[in-house]
Amino acid sequence: MELSRRNFLKSGVAAATAMAVGIPVSRIASAAAAETEQDWRWDKGVCRFCGVGCGIMIATQDGKIVATKGDPDAPVNRGLNCVKGYFNSKILYGKDRLTQPLMRMTDGRFDKQGKFTPVTWDQAFDEMAIQFKKAYEEKGPTGIGVIGSGQWLIQEGYAMTKLMKAGFRSNNIDPNARNCMASAVAAFMQVFGIDEPPGNYDDIEYTDTVVAWGANMAEAHPVLWQRVIDRRLGHSDMKIVNITTLRNMTSEGSDLEIIIKPNTDMALLNYLAREIIQRDAVNQAFVDAHCVFCAGPTDIGYGMRATDKFAFAAEKDIQAREVEVTLTRDEAIGLGLDPEQVHTIKQANAATADRHWLVGFEDFKAGVAPYTLDFVAELAKGDAEESLDAFKAKLVRLADLYADPKRKLVSFWTMGFNQHVRGTWVNEQIYSVHLLLGKIAEPGNSPFSLTGQPSACGTAREVGTFSHRLPADMVVNIAKHRDITEQTWKLPPKTLNPKVGSHITKIMRDLEDGSISWVWVQVNNPFQHVANANHWLKAARENDNFIVVSDAYPSISAKVADLILPVAMIFEKWGGYGNAERRTQLWREQVPPPGEARSDLWQILEFSKRITLAEVWKEQAIPGLKDEGFEEGKLPDVMAAAQEMGYTPQMTLYEALFETPQNKAFAWPDPVAKGHDNHTVKQLGVDWFVEKALFEEYAGFGRGHHHDLAPFDVYYQDDVRGLRWPVVDGKETPWRFNAKYDPYVKNGEIEFYGGAMKELVTGNLNGPTTEEKTKFPGKAKIFFRPYAAPVESPDGNYDLWLCTGRLLEHWHTGTMTRRVPELHRAMPSAVLDMNEKDAEERGLKRQDAVWIESRRGKIKAVIETTGRNRPPRGYSFMAFFDESVFVNKLCIDATCPISKEEDFKKTAIKIYKV
Amino acid sequence: MNISGILVVVPPARIEDATRELNALPGVEVHHTEPSTGRIVVVQEAETVEQEIAALSRIKALSGVMLAEMVYHVFDETPPEWDAIPAEMAAS
Repeated sequence: MELSRRNFLKSGVAAATAMAVGIPVSRIASAAAAETEQDWRWDKGVCRFCGVGCGIMIATQDGKIVATKGDPDAPVNRGLNCVKGYFNSKILYGKDRLTQPLMRMTDGRFDKQGKFTPVTWDQAFDEMAIQFKKAYEEKGPTGIGVIGSGQWLIQEGYAMTKLMKAGFRSNNIDPNARNCMASAVAAFMQVFGIDEPPGNYDDIEYTDTVVAWGANMAEAHPVLWQRVIDRRLGHSDMKIVNITTLRNMTSEGSDLEIIIKPNTDMALLNYLAREIIQRDAVNQAFVDAHCVFCAGPTDIGYGMRATDKFAFAAEKDIQAREVEVTLTRDEAIGLGLDPEQVHTIKQANAATADRHWLVGFEDFKAGVAPYTLDFVAELAKGDAEESLDAFKAKLVRLADLYADPKRKLVSFWTMGFNQHVRGTWVNEQIYSVHLLLGKIAEPGNSPFSLTGQPSACGTAREVGTFSHRLPADMVVNIAKHRDITEQTWKLPPKTLNPKVGSHITKIMRDLEDGSISWVWVQVNNPFQHVANANHWLKAARENDNFIVVSDAYPSISAKVADLILPVAMIFEKWGGYGNAERRTQLWREQVPPPGEARSDLWQILEFSKRITLAEVWKEQAIPGLKDEGFEEGKLPDVMAAAQEMGYTPQMTLYEALFETPQNKAFAWPDPVAKGHDNHTVKQLGVDWFVEKALFEEYAGFGRGHHHDLAPFDVYYQDDVRGLRWPVVDGKETPWRFNAKYDPYVKNGEIEFYGGAMKELVTGNLNGPTTEEKTKFPGKAKIFFRPYAAPVESPDGNYDLWLCTGRLLEHWHTGTMTRRVPELHRAMPSAVLDMNEKDAEERGLKRQDAVWIESRRGKIKAVIETTGRNRPPRGYSFMAFFDESVFVNKLCIDATCPISKEEDFKKTAIKIYKV
Repeated sequence: MNISGILVVVPPARIEDATRELNALPGVEVHHTEPSTGRIVVVQEAETVEQEIAALSRIKALSGVMLAEMVYHVFDETPPEWDAIPAEMAAS
């Protein structure tokens, strides 16, 4: 670039930057900005990365992205981007971008032991279909699986759900969001009977207090964190609290830092509930009118297998806890039991962990009674070098902030709560605290679950791409929900499978034990991100199975695959995401995908052309199916009923599910495109607007049912920057359950109208005492949940905690952000952050290379004692972005037994010098 | 050569010092300031996205910087040559 042009460009960029954030500039400068941009086509989009959902503007020229800028009109980020914003253009242009299908072959034929060889799309789909039919004929719908994503576009997740559930009659579809958000989802359903938060990001500007629980917002959600910091600058009474297991970047901006031991968040929340009652701070009118109290079983296990058949020798002692466990002293106290006695518990409710029943306020009060300041402070204090008195003072200060009736308060949380062997419980507990105080569903008072992926909400949760879900919060194991879905999808009755499928960890276990032998992975990297990876890598490569990975780059998952399908990325296709505050945002295709890369949606639809109804809608064996109305272990043949509806046995799933008369009514080209292309439609060779048709079909599930989306075209209007559902009569809903803002509230000022699980039996903390069910429509549940110790804790051998998480510069498994070698240099290799004294005690120092070993594997890494994460004694931290330091080989695959989300935060390790 | 527009916020009293320190950083130029609010618009030039990120970290590390985030990014790296990957994907 010649110098004068570059100088001119810089002036233009400077002026445009200033204008984007509202700094006035001279007329000459604004003219420079306009001239800089004059040859570019600008359009709105959404950041590809975390769940915040920042609006960006994208400039293209000659089929390439040339610039991006924070969208000044986007209410989420108001013109700003975080560092990851730089990657929205860069990720499309990595040198090792996959641009053609690759299959393992020897001598021109598929061979699981063969080498990756370029093939045509037809060859790829032909082999994929052969292998699919082999697995499906032999094992039926439970013999196949799909691992999807919270980064799936809304339409992609919807199409794959429909193909799997309606077409293949399999519920073995689960997104990586399982390991990110499932605990939040389970708690939303159990507490409110409907998923996703009452409040929104605007609560930040209305509140007096932000408490971050297990959420390093400064690193993981920097743009929201900036809004929090801005609020404090303009509001002198604002207080920020960071509750964490280690000192991190969020501590720097906080007024109060509380360092706790792993899992003691549960004790701390019970202390808060107890304090609220003791101080007479319960908002009695609110609780009486809008809440009930609940309890559930505590003998629920840790989501591991109940057998040690597949466990490594070193894993067996921990695995045995899935069957029987002896309570720790603290657990006994927390359950109101005599701590001097030995309490051995059989995990009798492992399969029914989500059961719960009504209890009275006095039961709840008795449940939290043991959680005194003395007990909780001693149990929870995470920094050995802090005095007990100082720690106690902090807990009292925290209780002061929560209990003050005049103080508005937002609790934010992410993976610290969700990736937790009691993730659902701890999510429920934070709602209990807010509900007791009535600090919910109004501006500034908000318990708010942050998300990690751009469409964990919009796709994984709202579309329902989980193994138990259907769209709009419906589930496969409720007959009425299947009926509604079958009618909407025009399926014969009993096409849908009522038996909940395998969640993501179980799909991996199924691959290992051979019950699944065909898997398709889209938009994620499960062989890196699922814990206890050594098992799954071996299962993928050594068992007789076929693994398809749709990916843009050679991730670990692509490398262990048998077939790799190159994908179009984010702005190379039409799509939509939904962020954590229920904001749905759609964009147009901006640039063409490279080479033969094609959208995931195109791949789903093309593959569906290769399977006929006769192959899937016949009688199918489903081991363990026992639902009412079905013959045991079987799905019926529905082909005869299908023929009466006009289907034929030779019709393909593409024709039956996707190219329907209703969908074909959405014509392409469409004026909403404004000249933008659509490679999915072009490559399918059709004249209907696939993304619009599928969006509208999907939206039909939620409209009129608390989940209303606006019409497709509305999201593309120039004056719209996403809309928070429910969108009723053209208006979005900023705060749900509050009559001032939410048209679905029909009774009173506050109504928790979610309909799931609003009829229960009654009992006490020990169990139900009646069989009669009570209905409590419109109310939310305040759960008592006791403290539970982690499934695995440091001992004499594995003597250090390991917590894993994310860093600012890298995102998740790093498939996109780690592409660029230069970027990689800033954070060259994942390091193990640990306390300097722990290092010294082991004869180690900063920058030493060490082996890190757990019961499940070992990896090499470099020690850091002065990084921006500062663990207390006994604790260490490692990011999970780096495939060369494969931290999930160490992590335990225990899950919350209710949500089935893994606990990546608590593994016992030992370290020694290489 | 990539160019990014970055918003930097410092306490208003520090705006002159900060402007001087920012201009001293390699590839960084201060273009607009708003003394009443402490807001500064800088443009930074770097070969690659990675260098841009490293440079942003340097800006954040300056004393008194309360905020430094990218607003505008002009992406002008050498167009990629797409590799056909099958070389056993063994690179790492």
